[in-house]
Amino acid sequence: MNIRPFLFRITALFLCAFLGVMLFRGIAAMPPKESVTGPAAHYLERASRETGARNVVGAILFDYRAFDTLGESTVIFTAVCGISMLFSRRKFHRSSSGLSFIAKRGIGIMAPFLIMYATVIILFGHISPGGGFQGGTIFATVTVLLCVVFGSSFESSYFPPKTKESLESGGALLFCGIGLVGLAAGTGFLSNLSAGFPAGREGSLLSAGTIPLLNIAVGMKVGAGLSAIFYSMIKMLDTTNDYREGGPIR
Amino acid sequence: MTGNAPFLVVGIIFFLGMYAILFERNLIKIAIGITLLEASANLLLIVLGYRTGGSIPVYTLAGGTRTMVLPTPQALTLTAIVIGLATSALLLSLIILLYRHYGTLDVREIRRLRG
Repeated sequence: MNIRPFLFRITALFLCAFLGVMLFRGIAAMPPKESVTGPAAHYLERASRETGARNVVGAILFDYRAFDTLGESTVIFTAVCGISMLFSRRKFHRSSSGLSFIAKRGIGIMAPFLIMYATVIILFGHISPGGGFQGGTIFATVTVLLCVVFGSSFESSYFPPKTKESLESGGALLFCGIGLVGLAAGTGFLSNLSAGFPAGREGSLLSAGTIPLLNIAVGMKVGAGLSAIFYSMIKMLDTTNDYREGGPIR
Repeated sequence: MTGNAPFLVVGIIFFLGMYAILFERNLIKIAIGITLLEASANLLLIVLGYRTGGSIPVYTLAGGTRTMVLPTPQALTLTAIVIGLATSALLLSLIILLYRHYGTLDVREIRRLRG
């Protein structure tokens, strides 16, 4: 009875080592990447001309593979729905009163700049490193900071859960609506310049057709979604402080 | 051989995550193992797209060099990080509920207390 876990460990160790050696040999056999071919070369050469965006990663995310991005933001939406449903039982909660005066003042000074930073990252996503995903995550970080430093009821009075919900749904609807414009123009779902969106002057703020709009939509979705996730979880943790440790609640 | 060092790091992180998932009994540690697996997958994608001496795939900041790292793995990793955040939040929420229901995080205890 005592030997079984030991044998299990030894077998798993050998299996892992074998797989690792085989995969490493595969990596050693890969061709050198001095010259790129296929889609990567196409993206690097022509992304600027075909989409008007100077950020190739943004061009891939929101033009070449925009449908993929729509699916990925749906995953976030599903996670938000799941967490909200898991924690939806509790109607009221007591919020913590937050941290010290110094922390509150410091975050009060920092928060507008953080929000400005997130906005810049979202709006300039097509000409510099950044985009909807990154900027949305910074937005969520601001709400997380407010939650921790000021207490969750303060945060929910500034950014009510209803507002987050409508922001997230609005982001999804904006994304799909822009996609449907391409469908109406007869060039396919989520098509960019071929659907008649203006390319603008390359490198300026208003350029690259749908990419800035899709950046804003994804930023709304990600920012509202992640902050809603955090709010649900911290609300739960605030309420469970009342119970003795380890006791089942029902 | 030094060019293969990032792959070695990927392997080590993957091994640590796999070890945590297989042999740890605490649910929080298993969750940490899963996020380690995510991190190693993301790192593998980024490393696969690297070219020697390549600059970032943004024309504005690339400077005079014409060699850029491959953009597609970066786009995939970008979304994978945010999705990993959302899914690990869901994972931790389920663990919170399990703890409230069973009063323990040990997977053996949770299995025994069923019903």
